[in-house]
Amino acid sequence: MNQLLSCLGSEKVFHFSFARMIQAPLEARYALGRVASMNKPDDPHTWLSEHGDYLYRFAMSRLHNEDLAADMLQETLLAGWKGFDRFAGQSSIRTWLVGILKHKIIDHIRREIRGRNLTEAVENDPTSAYFNANGSWSEAPNAWKDNPEDLFSSTQFSQTLESCINKLPEKQQIVFRMRDITGEDTETVCKSCDITSTHLHVLLHRARHALRKCLNTHWFGRGSSS
Amino acid sequence: MKQACNEISQLASDSLDRPLSLSERLKFKLHLCMCSHCRDYNHNMKFIRKVTDMMRKTNYGQIRLSEEQRQKLHAKLDHSLD
Repeated sequence: MNQLLSCLGSEKVFHFSFARMIQAPLEARYALGRVASMNKPDDPHTWLSEHGDYLYRFAMSRLHNEDLAADMLQETLLAGWKGFDRFAGQSSIRTWLVGILKHKIIDHIRREIRGRNLTEAVENDPTSAYFNANGSWSEAPNAWKDNPEDLFSSTQFSQTLESCINKLPEKQQIVFRMRDITGEDTETVCKSCDITSTHLHVLLHRARHALRKCLNTHWFGRGSSS
Repeated sequence: MKQACNEISQLASDSLDRPLSLSERLKFKLHLCMCSHCRDYNHNMKFIRKVTDMMRKTNYGQIRLSEEQRQKLHAKLDHSLD
């Protein structure tokens, strides 16, 4: 300390600069702490009451599983509570919590895919069966005359669609649900599934191709045969 | 040169997920003009997307935590915060 003092020349200078050095961050910390404690609710229960439905809906639209969505919601509220000091107040609490939830869902899907070792060879293209050697249709698609607006309100159609989606190979099913049912952007789907965008496009094409065939047989085929 | 239908079917799906490049768009449109099968296929693809879009908007809008789930979550939070 004495060495430092002599370096600085005089005790007075040292006191002055040292005080300023330590004072600024302290003030900043105090101010931040005050803001945080002002906004901090008594406990995550308040968040559950205020944002629970919204977060649950977000999780359900991505996980399609009530227990899992509720678990993710609970984890999010706890993680938010533990990390609340990092909440900068630049966004609303709800947006901040959605961000945490989103990461948790991506992590969950990643683990799921890795854990079950879901791979699908790009080489064996199931759509190739529909084309002959020169790449033209061997089994031609047919036009669907129904109006999508009328169909989506039909419970029967929803059930047919759901059963067709369930028949898809698992990885195709995951990417199709994320992209088309949930409406997630392609970047998030790639990140969650650890795949390139090229691979994603191939998987989505295969999924939609198989769905088209399945719907054609189990829904649109009925009209033409009766 | 006529583009093969299998390539066009991939583009039909891709067009739902990314903007096609200028040359892809040209190939795609030109082919659809000449090939009714691919026109139908492209229509089917758009149809699937329309239906899933509408389902999402109606199905998820009404989802709420049930009273039972809510109570369970409050209890779990209590337990974890102790």
